[in-house]
Amino acid sequence: MTQERFISLVRAQQEPLRRFLLALCAGDAALADDLAQDALVRAYVASGSFLGLSKFSTWLFRIAYNCYVDHCRKRRPEAVPVEEAVSLKADDSADRAFRYQQLYQALERLPEKEKAAIALFYFEDMSIKEISAILEMPQGTVKYQLSMGRQHLKQHLQP
Amino acid sequence: MKEIEEFLRENKPVVKDNPTFLLDAQRRMEAVEGIKAEVDRQHSRGRVALIIALVAGLAAGILVTALTYLYPIDAQTVGDGLLQSVRLFLQSYRQYLVYPVALLAVILSLLLSKWRKAAF
Repeated sequence: MTQERFISLVRAQQEPLRRFLLALCAGDAALADDLAQDALVRAYVASGSFLGLSKFSTWLFRIAYNCYVDHCRKRRPEAVPVEEAVSLKADDSADRAFRYQQLYQALERLPEKEKAAIALFYFEDMSIKEISAILEMPQGTVKYQLSMGRQHLKQHLQP
Repeated sequence: MKEIEEFLRENKPVVKDNPTFLLDAQRRMEAVEGIKAEVDRQHSRGRVALIIALVAGLAAGILVTALTYLYPIDAQTVGDGLLQSVRLFLQSYRQYLVYPVALLAVILSLLLSKWRKAAF
C-alpha cells in the first residue's frame, strides 16, 4: 500500500479513531493524539499485511486498541485534571462540560475491555460483530462487556 | 439502563480540530520509510556479500579438486619434506626467534590497549 493510499484511507478515519482513543484515555486529548499517531505508524508499517479481509477501520481500530493496551501496561493511567479532561469547544455550556467531566470520570473507572466496548458501541456506532473483531473476543463476550459496562457506569454516574 | 444509553449517545466525546495531525503522522511515516530503506539496503548488501562468498568458495573448491586430479602428488613425501625444512629452519635461527616473538607481543599489547580505548 502506498503512503498516499494509506493517508487517503486514514483521512476518513482520523476523527473516529481520535474520539475512540479520547474516550479510552478519559478525555486526555494530548495522550489520545499521541496514541493515535503511534497507531497510524504501526498500521503503516504493517500495511503490507492488510489483506482486506476486514474493513480498514476495523483493522485500524484494533491496532489503536492494542496501542492503548500497551500504553496501559507500561504505566497506570494518571488521573486527568478536570479542566483537561474535557475537550470542548469554546461555545460549549458549563452544563455540557460538567456532563463530560462526569462521563470521563466514570469511564476512567471502567476496566479496559468494558471501556473499549462502550466507546465503540455508543460513540462510534459500531456493530457487535465489528467490536468483536476489534477487541478479538466472541460476540457473546462483547455483549457481556457492554452489559457490565452499563451497570458499572450507572453505579459511577449516580450521585 | 435506558438513561445510561441515552446519556452515552448524547455525550459522545468531541475531538478538538487538529490540522497538523495528519501532517505529523505523514512526517513519522516518512521517517519510518527512511529507516526501512536503510535496513533494506543493509540486508541487500549482506545478501550480495553472502552470494560472493558462496560463489568464491565453490569456485575455489572446484579449482582445488581439479588441480588434485590433474597434478596428483605424494602427500607423504611433501609432508615429510615440509616438516624437515621447518625443523632445519628452527635449528639454524633459534637464537633470533626471541625477536619476532617479542615484536608480536608488543604489537598485540598495543592493539589490545587501542581496542579497550575504543570500547570506552
